[in-house]
Amino acid sequence: MENFEPVIVAFCCHYCAYTAADMAGTQRLTYPSNVKIIRVPCSCKVDALHLVKAFEKGADGVYVAGCLKGDCHFNNGNDRAASRVAYVKKYLEELGIESERLAMFRMSAGMGFQFAQTAKDMTEKIRELGPSPINVAKAQLKGEAA
Amino acid sequence: MQNTNRLQSSNKVLVIGGGLGGIRTALDLAEAEKDVILVDKAPAIGGLMTQLDRTFPTNNCDLCTLAPHLSEGSRQKHIELLSLTSVTDVKGEKGNFTVSLKTAPRYINLDKCTACGACYKAFPECVTFTPGLDHRAPTCMRYPQSTPQAYAVDLAKCSDVEALMKVCPTGAIVPDDLGRNQEVKCGAIVFSPGAALFDPSHLDYLAYATNPDVVTALEYERILSASGPTMGKLTRPSNGEQPKKIAWIQCIGSRGLQKGSGEYCSSACCMFALKEAMVTRERFGDDIETTIFYMDMRTFGKDYELYLQRAVNEFGVRLVHSRPHSILQPEGETKLKLSYTNDGSTQQHDEDFDMVVLSTGFKVADDVKVLAGKMGIDLHSDGFPKTEGFNAHATSVPGIYVCGTFEAPKDIPETMVQASAAACLASGDVASVKVEEDTEDLFPAEREVTGEEPKVGVFICDCGENIGSTVNVETLVEDALKLSNVAVAKAVGHGCSRESMAIIKSAIEEEGINRVVIGGCSPRTHQEKFQDLLKSAGLNKYLLEIANIREQATWVHSGDPAKATAKACELIRMATAAAVKAQPLADYTLPMNKDVLVVGGGVTGMTTALELADKGSKVYLAEKTKELGGVANKLKKTLEGANVQEFVADLVAKTKAHENIEVITSALIVDHIGMPGMFKTGMQVGRQMFYRQIEHGVTIMATGAKPNRPKAYMLDECDKVVTQIEIQNLIEEQPDVVKGWDNVVMIQCVGSRIPDNPNCSRICCQNAVKNSLRILELNPNARIFVLYRDMRTYGRQEEYYRKARAKGVMFVRYDLDNTPQVDAVDGLVDVTYHDPILGMKVTVSADCLCLSTGLIADHDSNEELAMTFKLPRTVDGYFLEDHVKLRPVDLPVPGFFVAGTAHSPKTIRESVTQARAAASRAQTMLARDVINLGARVARVDKKKCATCLVCVRACPFDIPFINADRYSEIDPAKCHGCGACVSECPAKAIQLMEFEDDRILAKLEELFEKVEA
Amino acid sequence: MITAERKPLEEIIACVAPFRKVLLVGCNECVTVCAAGGRKEVGLLASGLHMALLQQGKSVEIREHTLERQCDPEYVEELNSLIDGADAVLSMACGCGVQTIAGRYKDKPVFPAVNTKFMGASERQGVWAERCQGCGNCLLGQTGGICPIARCAKRLMNGPCGGSTKGSCEIDPDTDCAWQLIWDRLKALGLTENYVEMIPAKDWRTSIGNGPRKIIREDLAE
Repeated sequence: MENFEPVIVAFCCHYCAYTAADMAGTQRLTYPSNVKIIRVPCSCKVDALHLVKAFEKGADGVYVAGCLKGDCHFNNGNDRAASRVAYVKKYLEELGIESERLAMFRMSAGMGFQFAQTAKDMTEKIRELGPSPINVAKAQLKGEAA
Repeated sequence: MQNTNRLQSSNKVLVIGGGLGGIRTALDLAEAEKDVILVDKAPAIGGLMTQLDRTFPTNNCDLCTLAPHLSEGSRQKHIELLSLTSVTDVKGEKGNFTVSLKTAPRYINLDKCTACGACYKAFPECVTFTPGLDHRAPTCMRYPQSTPQAYAVDLAKCSDVEALMKVCPTGAIVPDDLGRNQEVKCGAIVFSPGAALFDPSHLDYLAYATNPDVVTALEYERILSASGPTMGKLTRPSNGEQPKKIAWIQCIGSRGLQKGSGEYCSSACCMFALKEAMVTRERFGDDIETTIFYMDMRTFGKDYELYLQRAVNEFGVRLVHSRPHSILQPEGETKLKLSYTNDGSTQQHDEDFDMVVLSTGFKVADDVKVLAGKMGIDLHSDGFPKTEGFNAHATSVPGIYVCGTFEAPKDIPETMVQASAAACLASGDVASVKVEEDTEDLFPAEREVTGEEPKVGVFICDCGENIGSTVNVETLVEDALKLSNVAVAKAVGHGCSRESMAIIKSAIEEEGINRVVIGGCSPRTHQEKFQDLLKSAGLNKYLLEIANIREQATWVHSGDPAKATAKACELIRMATAAAVKAQPLADYTLPMNKDVLVVGGGVTGMTTALELADKGSKVYLAEKTKELGGVANKLKKTLEGANVQEFVADLVAKTKAHENIEVITSALIVDHIGMPGMFKTGMQVGRQMFYRQIEHGVTIMATGAKPNRPKAYMLDECDKVVTQIEIQNLIEEQPDVVKGWDNVVMIQCVGSRIPDNPNCSRICCQNAVKNSLRILELNPNARIFVLYRDMRTYGRQEEYYRKARAKGVMFVRYDLDNTPQVDAVDGLVDVTYHDPILGMKVTVSADCLCLSTGLIADHDSNEELAMTFKLPRTVDGYFLEDHVKLRPVDLPVPGFFVAGTAHSPKTIRESVTQARAAASRAQTMLARDVINLGARVARVDKKKCATCLVCVRACPFDIPFINADRYSEIDPAKCHGCGACVSECPAKAIQLMEFEDDRILAKLEELFEKVEA
Repeated sequence: MITAERKPLEEIIACVAPFRKVLLVGCNECVTVCAAGGRKEVGLLASGLHMALLQQGKSVEIREHTLERQCDPEYVEELNSLIDGADAVLSMACGCGVQTIAGRYKDKPVFPAVNTKFMGASERQGVWAERCQGCGNCLLGQTGGICPIARCAKRLMNGPCGGSTKGSCEIDPDTDCAWQLIWDRLKALGLTENYVEMIPAKDWRTSIGNGPRKIIREDLAE
């Protein structure tokens, strides 16, 4: 696992984080290309199943980015998302995945800089953690088979 | 607009000038169901903006931000577009003008031309466009997204007409085209011819006419542009080498009295130069040094000060406060020499540059002056129109309105605001014309695709430099072709251009494509446009996925093309996998509530309320204090001398008397629900705080700003220290006190342009000038010192700044490292400052120290309102508009509009303009009878539903219920589409349309397929 | 409604680890409502198991299927086409469902993935509380609609114990004292005389005390 390049999935709320990502683009704020965005209408749309499946499929890190506290377009979707992320983090621990690999962030539409910074921070953190144990196990299994 | 009766009626608005402002005016009017004729003398609309490469403050490419507007324009059934057409005469009066139009021959039949470009390829080198720079063909399409989408021939430049005609495959070239003269009738005219640029050729000391390396800012813009003469390569025109040092010189043709200069400030050039320098640094980094020589750095617009700081601190743009006299090129040298002196020093510096860019200002073109004369509108001596004190658009002729850079020099956001405001005024002069929405006519019947195998078409934009310079689009195309279900993959250049759209459309039709993937820019801005394209190709508009490879790959990973390419491929793969799962959907609609809630009863709120009430809407005007008027109640006169109190009193009287307006004072907004067209807002009203709920279709935020009062320079400690508002009251109410003053000092930027409040308050420089002049009127012997950082008397205010200097007001520059010191001594205020010209400290014992404290956002109130209405704000607390450039009045939450100082600091006149703009934008919504709710709703699979009530409890809006058939039912017309129920349903019985689980999982699967393989 | 909670993953893994192909069966009734074993939880568990086993170097094939009601044999028949492809069945239904499957497919090992907890009611989203122990002889008519058997830790039949403090149970201050609730409600109903009346010692034969119970409706039973 030399030159480990993590793959990170970011579920971004259309109204805030996704717009912030556009803003980061507009301002040409670079961040690691490891982060891939999936747009959702509200962070509360992100199903626990999608978070878990992302790791199963091979994500090294996953995060949900929703609006600032009190700013959700649908009252409290961002808070719902936050408690769901907390719940899934426990589940991940249970099945042997470091819970730091999953995170919830909050930002507003204007925060292009924060979007880029979050992407950097998360990539850095996952780089430190190394490849997801699932990916390590998959590689091992394949190695044995070969 | 084909109907003959309508063409002959005077019940329509003529918009003269198809620049950005004219387009906005025409669109606003058309969307409010008014008939419009839009004339432009150029072969295609778009005006000056089509020549810009990127625009501040977003540094976006302009073509792609402008393109959606243009196609919107040609699609509107209320607009008749006449290109190559000029106005030769105007007769009649408001309500019944007769206008003579002359259409020049295009020599191309618009109906036959397919814009294939064969003529252009065969005859490319006959004519030049901008002298010395832009080589153009005799058949010239000015830019790729041109409207109308057709070429034009310059017959005079063409030597072999026969050969040219033969080249055209459709036989569209008609050399005997004679053009056309016609008369049209209209009820109102919006005159927005735009501005010309100052030509510095006669200023020999700038060597513009003689040295190719001296260019104007617009020419530099063309050199930077991907569609420009060098195809985006930055080279010195003299020798084709990349320059290492570039200088900008500001205020060429502006702020001067000699050699044809305008006395006014051109308002936009400081930001323009900063942008060009910044884009240069961004593209070339330390390979090119950029230096701007300026007189005052005038970044007074919303968040522009932050832009200035970014340019200097992050991009390393160097600013020199100086005005070099001349540009020299010593014999035998290739470099250009600038000599200048710097602040506080008499020493002359010589510095060499490879290129010098002249920031040339705006002026009124001669033909525009002539036409204005025919219309009978009064002009200032410099050709700009005279307008009313509180109405920037009303000319001396009723029924003729002006906007944009012709009204006065300005930038794009302000042009957009003015254009909407002019539309608001003109629409009051004509009646609405209902046109049957005949969608059948616009779009073919939808093809049934359910049951078909997915056949995906992938279309990838290069977006000029924006995508194409970082990744090789062909590589992306090859990668896409490897994907299963992909039938077609193509590079389409500017995907949003008419030409590319036609290519995509025919590919869909010919190849039987039933799913479309666009690799391009953000779906936030372009989804609707591509959805329309699908509709026009007979596909359901939801069979589309957009991979945002510009914002998410090429713009943010431009430093690493390999990674940007890999990511772009992944994003396209993900979008393709998701598109395969896409299903056709139908939109839901509801009736529109035409009532309006205006929040804030200041000048802005009252103006908007009156405009909308006059047009028939019931308006609720909610004001949190006990009376109407806001901050304007404290103001006396404007810089130009107009009486504020009379104006406000008149507005209040009209507002209170209007039968369609209900004024609700002492109103505190407490809750808000609903969606555009059907909002419900609750407020507590009056001393008893009675709760009251109002139902309305749109909301206008006109909550204003607060006069700032920072703790600085002994304000509130010493009674000789006052603010500009207070000194204005002294002048009006206690003239004897003012007459007794010997020395007055004013300090600018108190509480503005500092780390705590980084933005410029915009209004203070003119206030200082205004009050200085008023003091001198009362007391000609007073000595007035204005300590400033940059004097920002933009536009025509410059005239008063000059007058103040002529009358002896001392303007002394200070900077943040050397701020004035203030001390109370013997009943006077001692102000000590560093005088850069004397090079020493000077102390003035002032009778009065006046602080220019400006405006500040009403944080507490705005924060509450932002929370209640879910509106975003800027860092300094003002409401953040949807697009700072093109949609400066629309808020990002549909159905919300912002005006006045709730948007950013501005003058009363500017607030009134924005108030009218908000009314015009609101009118475009209010004219509709139904609101489209889209298709993003939660749908329950009744077979899976366990009636567990989780959705009923999870919904933030209480929409789901367990119906008589015992399963959860969600009314699509009420569902807001957040997906809360979807992700909490334990039976997985609910799906959110457009964001179905299998679509999201398909993206994940595709992303990791490579990892698994 | 019967409530349940997923077992710790470790325990489930121990059960299924020896097998290569596992059929994971959910139920769309009670366990769906209490978010323990519906389609969603089946998906989460399948994904989690897959990942956990992978880390042990095992690749286990997990098929997911959720039945309308696992405790009815007709619905269980749906599994016929899937059962042959499985080495073992993991059920996310309550004990009734697990046993119905075990009874139908005699040669397949069946494991529970949830712990069946109690008969409870939903207090609010995500919170369920025990309300009934199925004693077979309902007393709610005398106790103001509050069950002292399900809600009193000591199953006291005639008033609270000495541990009742400010309305809370001594076992857990967050649990209401059932007898306090009963008293408050009787008072509100004006039926405090019920409280004075002695409830005789409970005959547990109607409950599990007399062995497994069965209900036979002769008119319906074939």
